[in-house]
Amino acid sequence: MTGRLSSAFAFRGSLSRRARAAVALGSSSLVLLLWQIASWCDLLDPTFLPAPLDILDTLYTMTMRGEIIGNALISIARILAAFLLSAVMAIPIGMLMSSFRPVSAALEPIIDFIRYLPTPALIPISIIWFGVGEETKIFLLWLGTFFQLVLLVVDDANRVPHEYVEVARTLGARPYEILRDVIWRAMLPALVNNLRITLGWCWTYLILAEIVAADNGLGYVIWTARRYMKTDEVMAGVFVIGIIGLVTDQVMRALHAWLFHDQEAGR
Amino acid sequence: MNPRRDSYLVFDQVTKRFDGLPVVENPFNLVVPRGQFVVFLGPSGCGKTTLMRMVAGLDEPSTGAIWLEGSRVGPPDERRGMVFQSYSSFPWLTVRQNVAFGMRYRRDLSSKAKAARAQHYLDLVGLADFAAAYPSRISGGMRQRVAIARTLAAGSEVLLMDEPFGALDAQRREQLQIELRRIQSEEMKTILFVTHDVEEAIFLADRIIVFSSRPARIVEDIDITAELGSERSIALRDSDIFFRRRADLLRTVRSILTVV
Repeated sequence: MTGRLSSAFAFRGSLSRRARAAVALGSSSLVLLLWQIASWCDLLDPTFLPAPLDILDTLYTMTMRGEIIGNALISIARILAAFLLSAVMAIPIGMLMSSFRPVSAALEPIIDFIRYLPTPALIPISIIWFGVGEETKIFLLWLGTFFQLVLLVVDDANRVPHEYVEVARTLGARPYEILRDVIWRAMLPALVNNLRITLGWCWTYLILAEIVAADNGLGYVIWTARRYMKTDEVMAGVFVIGIIGLVTDQVMRALHAWLFHDQEAGR
Repeated sequence: MNPRRDSYLVFDQVTKRFDGLPVVENPFNLVVPRGQFVVFLGPSGCGKTTLMRMVAGLDEPSTGAIWLEGSRVGPPDERRGMVFQSYSSFPWLTVRQNVAFGMRYRRDLSSKAKAARAQHYLDLVGLADFAAAYPSRISGGMRQRVAIARTLAAGSEVLLMDEPFGALDAQRREQLQIELRRIQSEEMKTILFVTHDVEEAIFLADRIIVFSSRPARIVEDIDITAELGSERSIALRDSDIFFRRRADLLRTVRSILTVV
């Protein structure tokens, strides 16, 4: 037992899948348990922080009232639409920026300028442009992710070993063939990882967009509950977002492992 | 006789500068007959790799030119294939797909002919049993074989090898050296091979070009085949004549380094 423990705690040591899941579940449960106990002991004011079991109870009644699933689906749909738009634009533009100097020279200053603007500061202009419909939300999400993602794509493409490109050139590949057959394939594992991380950021901007201009979605649910000081409903909404994030991330990780396990540690 | 037109591979008064710094300063001249195995031996950073990259078309001479079968060498094409020390095979393709990648941009071959060629070169380098494996699942030596097979499948007449066995352990290295000699004599390829390993140079080469440190200059041009014959085996490696040749060459190489 002590041997297993010391190997688990070895610097960059290994941990079996089951042990990993057990530790992950245990630590989360412990936090919830302490929180619940603190509530039972009247250490927490439910107006500010309701007990986990009460939040769960509220979540159940809200789901039964039909307030959760529909709104969650609307939020997810907004995220997917905006995220796909970002990715579809950022991937080719980033690859071209990495491959052709004039393209990066032309676009880098623009991207860097917009990237440093806080998205909330652009809400007014976006409402003036697009009104308060779906366009504004999609635009804000796109704004928050595209300019970050495009630079991550540039980085991924830059990190493709030059040897791969030169091998392809000596085999007679033309520039667009190198992009399609070498750069794209070589950067794909890193790209999927970056997409996973960027997808998480989308939620930040989604809630923002739904607070400002929406009559549905999880952000709207949370913001409405706040107006009536229904802290348990606020927490229930936040909890749903957390769960969606957790599930999405795990699915993306599994997808990554399934797609790329063959080429791991390959040279 | 006009060497540019009548010889196979010619370096004609080649110099190279990078950002104004000379890599090959003294005009470099060398004539390589078809089918010769030429080893460039010299200290790291002496410019031998640059000379080879210029044959591939990956770098351009600052002055002078390189001629292959009477025509001036231009941008890269599949007649001149490169094998690098690392990142030599594509990790997202299987061994067979890697070898077939060499013919991907050839429009003169039917897909049936391509498949047959891929199989032929897989057999030649002894990887037929690993055709479906990904590079991450095979040894470093096998990955170098994949790269060699891919270059041959592409139809390269000149193989440019930049320390291709540099990252391998001694046993794998020896095995691959023997195989490379065999492949070269079977396929009648011309090979330029860069290394700083004296023993590897003698074992592989028909001819060794010994370089000074940067800027590159030819210190010695040794006809190894005249001394050792063209047959290379492990027995040769253990012979007195091989040891004497090695001791001689080591002395030359040491004298270059002490000059610096």
